[in-house]
Amino acid sequence: MVIMLGVLIIGGAVWFVRRQAASRPPLADRQTVPISAARSLAPHPVAAAALDFGRIEVSGLTKQYPGVTAVQDLTFVVEPGSVTGFLGPNGSGKTTTLRMILGLVAPTAGTVTIGGARYADLAEPVRRVGGLLDASAAHAGRTGRDHLRIICRAAGLPASRADEVLGVVGLTAAGRRKFREYSLGMRQRLGVAAALLGDPQVLILDEPANGLDPEGIRWMRGLLRALADAGRTILLSSHQLAEMELLADDLIIIAGGRLVAHGGTAAVTSSLCGAGRTLVRTPEAAQLAAELGAAAVLTPGADGDVYVMGVDAVAIGDAARRLGIPLYQLVSERRDLEAAFLELTACTAAIR
Amino acid sequence: MIGSGAAGDGLAAADGVLTSGRRPRVARALDLLRAELMKIATTSIWWIFLIGVIAVTAAALWTSGVSHHFTLDPPLATMGSAARAQAIAQAAQARTRAGATAITVNMITAGQFLGVLFALLLGVLLSTNETAHQTAAITFLTTPRRTLVINAKVAAAACFGALCWLVSTTVTAVTTPLYLHSQHLTAGAASGVVIRSVLLNLLIYVLWAVFGVGLGTLIRSQVAAVIAGIACYLAGYAAVELIFHALYSLYPHGWVLGAAVIAPAVAGTVAISPGHAFPHAPPQWAGIVVMAAYALVLAVGGIAATRRRDVV
Repeated sequence: MVIMLGVLIIGGAVWFVRRQAASRPPLADRQTVPISAARSLAPHPVAAAALDFGRIEVSGLTKQYPGVTAVQDLTFVVEPGSVTGFLGPNGSGKTTTLRMILGLVAPTAGTVTIGGARYADLAEPVRRVGGLLDASAAHAGRTGRDHLRIICRAAGLPASRADEVLGVVGLTAAGRRKFREYSLGMRQRLGVAAALLGDPQVLILDEPANGLDPEGIRWMRGLLRALADAGRTILLSSHQLAEMELLADDLIIIAGGRLVAHGGTAAVTSSLCGAGRTLVRTPEAAQLAAELGAAAVLTPGADGDVYVMGVDAVAIGDAARRLGIPLYQLVSERRDLEAAFLELTACTAAIR
Repeated sequence: MIGSGAAGDGLAAADGVLTSGRRPRVARALDLLRAELMKIATTSIWWIFLIGVIAVTAAALWTSGVSHHFTLDPPLATMGSAARAQAIAQAAQARTRAGATAITVNMITAGQFLGVLFALLLGVLLSTNETAHQTAAITFLTTPRRTLVINAKVAAAACFGALCWLVSTTVTAVTTPLYLHSQHLTAGAASGVVIRSVLLNLLIYVLWAVFGVGLGTLIRSQVAAVIAGIACYLAGYAAVELIFHALYSLYPHGWVLGAAVIAPAVAGTVAISPGHAFPHAPPQWAGIVVMAAYALVLAVGGIAATRRRDVV
């Protein structure tokens, strides 16, 4: 009797749990909120004292899982008031690193501090640091607004902040809808809203542009730019260099859990691509070579073209004018950035 | 102080709203408790459990009521003379003050057997929802002190256990006097004993809910934790009955049967039964101690596991 009852109840409970799981939201649904719904952004500047807080220092950070070293001896500093892009292919350790910064994953070795303190030791972390880790992280049967209100309650923030940040991300109209009805783009916006609740000086976002349509990506870029210009520290991960090149002031590139490049965006991309070369079509290549001098390295191309490295197109054009020789073509070529990135990260990934 | 926001920009919080020093420890603990209560209240789960508790209480009242009715008013016409004599003696015993007390306690705590299962499952869901819906990360970002989060879950589970008890007891407290009246049971029950049983019933609901939080924290998979919780409760009850009766046939000592109290489901029954829940049952306090020990061990184990584990 009791056993039959047990079988019945277990069966019922399993059915219920599975039904709950099955009703998890469809990802393909592409409803987006009109951008005009988002309020105009004019972030307030962060006070000078807060700037000191915003520095993220990662030192010798290592995370080993059984059989795998996810992150190895990673050291870098993220400065306040800038957008720092954290790049690497899938599985390179980006998310693990961000989770270690946010105190969710315990490092095997090394330290991470935000404003000199470990995340877990911050008195009021939500007011200091905003984190977005997984866009599909809310209870499917709960409304977006309730999701935010629960965080407000736990963090001791007024519930009105939930409505304010919904306005910032353009989700006011969808706030009372259940999370399972949200499109991926709406989930990203809700995640950003949650990160902004405590008006933090530091934002740490894991692939926030994932699933956003082009309009949404532009919106996100504008929002993050405005936040950084107001003095906030923004660290965001991505696996797309082209996307980061438009937004980030600094780049940190990792592959196979190791740091492979770190610096200003322009410096990193130019070092990735090399200085580039210039394609020249002229019947007087020999004269031109003599005029350019030892700094220029000429290599013959097809159809009598030459590739010039070591001097730029301006110097070549000036030299041709001085010589009075004709130039039929003068093309600056940059090595393909994406290809360079792939090459860099692939070769380091192979070391693993 | 972070800075001053331009009016209406939405991004910046109004001056002062987000400015605060460290809040008092008690205020923060209460905020966390309220956040955990909201996690259940903002989903549709609570009314499913409400209906469930009312349904099992009503069913238990019905079966208890019918069974007591046949004790109080046995169908003598259908019985043989020996059975008739026994039935008359039982009815007379039931109509004494002690008998009335036993019937009252049984009716007013009706539904406990399955009602606490709902308290247990609410506790389990409080924990496993965080994994199933991937909200553990945001919960621990908001409150990096993980022990505080589990403490709040334990407190919230206690509240929900108490709520299940309140709903169930409201139903039984309204029904029981009507039933006793309908059965012409004139001997008044000893109210002290009844009240004590009702309060102990509350304690058992609360302890099962806490048990659920601990279980859900240790076993993070929702399906696995729900099955483990139910199996531990129902199958555990049946298995223990079988095992201890088998042992008793080998070692016919009373304490062998009494030792069945180590099963959590048996402990819960022992804890609320005045007198003896079954032959050779240990005293009530033993049931309470066993239940409390289970709840405590699981909750502490859950805290230890949560502190140590990576949140992924």
